[in-house]
Amino acid sequence: MSTPPVAPPDSQAVQGGGVVLVVDDETRILSAVRRSLRREGYEILTAETPVEALAILEARSVDVILSDHKMPGMNGLEFLALAALRRPEAARLLITGWTAEVPARDLTALGIRALLAKPWDDAELKAAVRSALTR
Amino acid sequence: MTQSEPVVHVLIAQAEHAAGPLAQTAAILGRLGADVQVAGVQSAAACLERVRAGGIDLVVLDLGLGSEARELLSALRGVGPPVVAVTPEPGGDVVRDAFLLGAAECVIAGPEYGRVLPVVVLEQIRRWRALLERGAVEQRLRRLEDLNDAIVRAIPAALAVLGPDARVLAVNPEFTRVFAVDAARAAGASLEEILPAGLLPRERLLGLLREATVREVELRVSTLDPGRGAAARSFDVRLARLDDDGRLLLVLWDVTEAEQLNRRLAELKRYNENIIQNMNSALLVVDREGRIAFANPTAQGILRGKLAELRGRSIWEWLSDTPRGRELLERTLREGVRFRGAETVITHPSGQVVPIGISCAPLQGANGRRIGAVAIFQDLSEIKELQRHVSQTERMASIGQLAAGVAHEINNPMGFIHANLCQMAEYLADLRRLWERVGELQTAIATGRSDQIRAQAEKLAALSAEVDSDFVFADFAKALRESQEGSERIRHIVQDLRQFSRNDSGDRVLADVRECLDTTANIVGTMMKHTVVLRKDYEELPRIRCYPMQLKQVFMNLLVNAFQAIQERVGSSGETGEIHLETRRRPGGIAVVVSDSGIGIPPENLPRIFDPFFTTKEVGIGMGLGLSTSFSIVQRHGGALRVESQPGVGSRFEVFLPLTSDDTAPQPVA
Repeated sequence: MSTPPVAPPDSQAVQGGGVVLVVDDETRILSAVRRSLRREGYEILTAETPVEALAILEARSVDVILSDHKMPGMNGLEFLALAALRRPEAARLLITGWTAEVPARDLTALGIRALLAKPWDDAELKAAVRSALTR
Repeated sequence: MTQSEPVVHVLIAQAEHAAGPLAQTAAILGRLGADVQVAGVQSAAACLERVRAGGIDLVVLDLGLGSEARELLSALRGVGPPVVAVTPEPGGDVVRDAFLLGAAECVIAGPEYGRVLPVVVLEQIRRWRALLERGAVEQRLRRLEDLNDAIVRAIPAALAVLGPDARVLAVNPEFTRVFAVDAARAAGASLEEILPAGLLPRERLLGLLREATVREVELRVSTLDPGRGAAARSFDVRLARLDDDGRLLLVLWDVTEAEQLNRRLAELKRYNENIIQNMNSALLVVDREGRIAFANPTAQGILRGKLAELRGRSIWEWLSDTPRGRELLERTLREGVRFRGAETVITHPSGQVVPIGISCAPLQGANGRRIGAVAIFQDLSEIKELQRHVSQTERMASIGQLAAGVAHEINNPMGFIHANLCQMAEYLADLRRLWERVGELQTAIATGRSDQIRAQAEKLAALSAEVDSDFVFADFAKALRESQEGSERIRHIVQDLRQFSRNDSGDRVLADVRECLDTTANIVGTMMKHTVVLRKDYEELPRIRCYPMQLKQVFMNLLVNAFQAIQERVGSSGETGEIHLETRRRPGGIAVVVSDSGIGIPPENLPRIFDPFFTTKEVGIGMGLGLSTSFSIVQRHGGALRVESQPGVGSRFEVFLPLTSDDTAPQPVA
C-alpha cells in the first residue's frame, strides 16, 4: 500500500488544490476552522445552515464537505446524504461533539470518510482534509 | 238487677182479645222496673219477624193464639230467646205440648198469675243471660284453640307431644316434613321408630327424655342427620313437661341456617380482624372527643403503646403540635368531612416527629349519628427518605438528559477555543520571527550602516509579507476575542448547571421567582434552541420566601416536559415549536405559567400525570417522577400545580405560589 504524498504539516507552501465547504450553525466554529486550514491553501466556503450549504452545492462543485452534526432543521448525517445526491464526488467529513451519537453503520452507509470529534485537534483536522482530497 | 245490667227486652205475643188475668200480662211485666222493656205483638208472624230483627231477650207467648202459637214455638226452638208460654187453661195437654214444642216455661193464668209470672220471667232472663255468657267463653276458647292450632301448624319448628312412655301422641306438619313421616304413622309410634336408626344423638335424646320427666331440659345444639340422603342439620332440642299426666313436648328448632350464618359471621369477623391486626397501615378509632377507642397493632407501634394503655387517651396528645392534622381530624369529628392522603406528623412526648399520611372518615352509629372517626395512617419515614433519595436520583437523571444538550453547548466554544489556541500559538511563532527581524534591524541601525539597515529593512518587509503580519495581528486579536467570549459562555453554562446539583438547605429564603425561572430557562434553553422558540412574558413579581433550588427543579421539569412534547410533535421535520413562559401576579400569590405547542396529553392520562412513576416516555427517559416531584415541591410551598391540555394543541402548566405573611414583612438586610 503506497502512502499518498502529503505535504508536511508545517509546510508554508500554499498548495493550489481544493475547495472545502464547512457547515456549522456556530459562526465561531466556522472562523476557527478557517483559521486552522488557513495555511493549507484551500478555497474555504462556509455555510451556517444546511439549507445554505445545499444552495452552494447547487451553484458550484466542491472537493471536501466538512459538516457539524447537531444543527437546526436537519442533522449532519441528513445533510450529508442530501449533499451526496448533488455532489457525489465530494468527500464528506462529519464533526461532532458527541461521537457516540452517530452510529458507525450510518457513517459507512453514507460513505462518510471520517468522523472528527469536537473539540478537534488541528493536525488531525488538516490531515483528514488532506487525506480526503487525495482520494 | 244492677245498674250495669243492660235493659231486658220482653216481647209479648198475645191476641188482641185476651181476657182475664192474661189481659194483665203487660201491666204485670211493666211493674218489673225500668230495666224491663215490654213490647207487644198481636200475631205469631209479627212476633217471629220481631225476634229475627234481634234484640229480644224473652218472648211471652199466649197459647191462645192457637195453632199459630205452636208454629211459633217450633220456629224459635233452639235459635231464639226463651219462650214463656202462658195459658188460661190448666189442661195438662196444653202445657205438655208447650214444653214439647220448646217452651222454656209454662205459666197458668190462675189467681197467682200476677205473682208467678214475674218470678218465672226473671228466672228465664237470668238463665238466658248465663247461657249467652257461656257461649262467649266457649267462643273465646275455640278461638284460642284455633290460634294454637295455627301456631303449631305454622311454626318453623318440629313439635311432637309424647306420652310418658315416649310414644308419640301428635306431631305438627313441620315435624312430618323434617323427619319425612306422615302424621298418621307418627301417632302412636315410639320416638325410636320415628327418628332414624343409628342417629348419633338419639341415645342422648332419649336420655334427655328420661330426664325430662323430672325437669325441663334443653339441649343447645344437636346435629341430627335425618338420613334418607338429606344433608345433616342442626337443631336446638327442648323437652318440656306438658302436664301432670307426664306428657312431654318435644321441640326441635332447626338452627342450621342460623348456625351457618353464625359461622359465616364468625369467619367474617376473624377475617376482618386478621386484616385489621395485620395490615401495614395503622387503624385508629376515636370517639367524638378524640379519645382512642381502638388501635390496631400498627397504630400501637406508631403511637408506641399497647391498646390497653392507649385506650381512652386523647389523640391530640400526638397531633396537638400539628395544626393541619388536628384541624382535619377535628373537621371529620365535627362536620363529618372525609379526607384522604393528607400529610402531617405525629409528635411523641420525647419530641420525636414521625411523618404520616392520614385518611379520615366519620364513624356512624346504628342510628346514623356520628359517634367518632376512623383514621388510617402510614408511617412515612421510610417513604420520605426514599423520596428524598429518588428525587435526588431523578434530578440527576434530568441532569443526565441535560448533559447531552449541555455538552454540545460546551463543545462548540471548547472546539473553537481549542482551535484558536493552536492558531494563536502559530501566530505567536510568526510574530516572534518578525520580532527577531526587528531586533536584527535595530542592531543594523546601531551600526549606522545604511546598506545594512536597508538590507535588514527589506528582510523585515519580506518576512512581514510572508507571515501576512497585518492579517496575523488582526486575526490574533479576533481569535482572542472570540475565545474569551467562548470561555465566558462555558462559564455561564457551568454556573447554571451547578445550581441543579445543589440541595436547598435549611429554611426558605426570599428569592425572585423570575430569576429562578430565567436561570432555568437559560440552561434548558441551550439544549432545545434548535427545536423551540422560547417566548418570555414576565410581569414584575414580589420576592417570596421559598426554596429556590426546588422551584428551579420544578421549572426545569416543566420546561423539559414541554420540550419533549414539542420534540414528539415535530419529530425531525425541521419544524419548531413554541414554549411560552409567563410570570403573573395573582390574588394572594404569584403564578408561573409554562405553555407549549407540543403533542398534548390525552384526557385519560390527565388525572395520573402527577402520580409517582407515571410516565409515557420510553425507558431511560426519566423515571416518571418529574411531575410528581414538582407537585410535592409546589405543595410544600403551599401552592398549587394545575394543568390544562389538549391533544394536538399543547399543554399549559400553571404553578401558583402563595405569598406568606413573611413575604410582605420588611425584608431583612442581606
